[in-house]
Amino acid sequence: MQDRYKHCYMDIEEVKQRAGPREFGPTDDMPEEYRKAATRMIQFHANSEIMGAYIERPFIRQAPSLDRKLAVSAQVQDEIGHGQLLYRAAENLGIKTREQMLDELANGEGKFLNCFHYPLDDWYELPMIMFFVDGAAMRRQATLKRTSWEPYAHAIDKICFEEGFHIKHGESILAELASGTRRDQERLQEAFDKWWPRILQFFGPTDDQSTHSDFSSAVGLKTMGNDALRTAFLNVYLPKAEKYGLEIPDTPAVTFNEDTQRYEVEEDDLDWDEFMQIARNQYPQGKGQIDKRHRTQEAVEWVRDAIENPGAGSAAAD
Amino acid sequence: MASARLGAPGDLSEREREAVEALLYQLADDEFVVADRYTDWQCQGPTLEADIAIANIAQDELGHARLWYDLLQDFGYEETELIWEREAEEFRHATLCEQSFESGDWADAVVRSYFYDVAEFLQVEALAETSYPRIADRIEKVNGEEHYHREHAQNWLERLCEDAEGTRRVQAAVDDLYPYALTLFEPTAKEDDIVELGIRPTPLAQLREEWYDLTGAFLDGLGVSVPDREALDDLVAEETGRDGSHTDDWQRQYNELTYTYRMLDRTEARRLMADPDEV
Repeated sequence: MQDRYKHCYMDIEEVKQRAGPREFGPTDDMPEEYRKAATRMIQFHANSEIMGAYIERPFIRQAPSLDRKLAVSAQVQDEIGHGQLLYRAAENLGIKTREQMLDELANGEGKFLNCFHYPLDDWYELPMIMFFVDGAAMRRQATLKRTSWEPYAHAIDKICFEEGFHIKHGESILAELASGTRRDQERLQEAFDKWWPRILQFFGPTDDQSTHSDFSSAVGLKTMGNDALRTAFLNVYLPKAEKYGLEIPDTPAVTFNEDTQRYEVEEDDLDWDEFMQIARNQYPQGKGQIDKRHRTQEAVEWVRDAIENPGAGSAAAD
Repeated sequence: MASARLGAPGDLSEREREAVEALLYQLADDEFVVADRYTDWQCQGPTLEADIAIANIAQDELGHARLWYDLLQDFGYEETELIWEREAEEFRHATLCEQSFESGDWADAVVRSYFYDVAEFLQVEALAETSYPRIADRIEKVNGEEHYHREHAQNWLERLCEDAEGTRRVQAAVDDLYPYALTLFEPTAKEDDIVELGIRPTPLAQLREEWYDLTGAFLDGLGVSVPDREALDDLVAEETGRDGSHTDDWQRQYNELTYTYRMLDRTEARRLMADPDEV
């Protein structure tokens, strides 16, 4: 008995020792601290997929060709599918059910990526999400193929595969606009100026400022720090932006440090107050997005009632 | 009364070509507009699974629209002329397709899709006998997917009707949508030629009878009532779509649909996928 117990239960020290790619799964009896940290991370990711789908949604109808309409619809659908996969991976940790997590999202308690708190104004802004933000997300996700919670890594495999198509489509929209009329190019640049600081903030505060980083890294949930991820992103995407004729704004200042081989961003040039307001789900536009989610979920509550308790009729009227 | 096989697109007489075009516009516009409406449900579905399923259906219907518009391109039209630069009143879809959804009215989505899919199934079955070879080529692809759509709608109707509130909502949707559903069988100006030339040998009026029997029997089994057969002619919505008359919902949908195209001041619609003839 004693041995078996020892075999199944892991304390934090053992978790840290064993932590490696896809090391733990539903058959391991993980300490609560690990399960909570993993839930927080995966729930955040799942919420981000749903809210990312929300801001892209209007462009299914507004897409300017039949093929683009099909592609945007498929993309939004994929993101809902990613949300579904991720909630399942999070549910496996035994901390929260999917319903709880979806309720938290609709109630404004669920957290999600900063960029998805800003609704998109028009088609010119779409590649800011579909190319740059999705590209940034891809950088982060690629490192999560080596996360220690196996169900998460498994979901990431499928997500990365599909996300690759989304980024290609985003790049195709970007390329079309960048090679359009002068007016197209100007509007594209305006969209880029507006989104660039938000994209830089996508990776969150620098490592020394990040609250949950240490523990998540120690137990192998997170495999790369915010700073390194941002550099990896900029290495690829700065040249791409330039390739499409976009000018990188002077502020926030981005410089390459030859010694560390890293990009450095002048942190004071970024609006961290707004970022923190977003992190608390209190940024007005983001709150608008959450409220929308809340209303649409409430409007279909009757369907869930009908299929979960058939025959019960309208419970609200009783 | 088998009709003579029609020739290739370039060999049609004027009468033949006009009839083929009228049928193709009807088919393509129905698919395009109903699909675009289904996408209203993306991110709004009652469950994540429902959301994903209706997105699938929307994309299938968009794919069908693409197949039919592509046959119109045989006559030299471009996608821009067929969709993006056409005036709202030139569209020939039935007004069932364009109705906006009340927020949360999933019963509407399910009933509409059921009405539409049964009609499409019957239409496609009738087209299996078409005298126009280009349409015959496309039928199999459309048919395979419609089967799944019908099953999806029927499953949802069954689930909703196990519940009192669900049944009430389904009945309300049937009552609201019925006049518009009937517009699916309203003729275009070329209906007589379409039938006589065997492009679709079965008249729409006959398809409506079959549709009425099929949908009526199924809904009756769920405890949902439909109008009497004798009442149908008077019930058809005033705006049928087939003659270019539409409800206000269409103008709003059209404005949104064409918003980006107009904003970008485009003269071409970007193709990303291979031509259906090359697949």
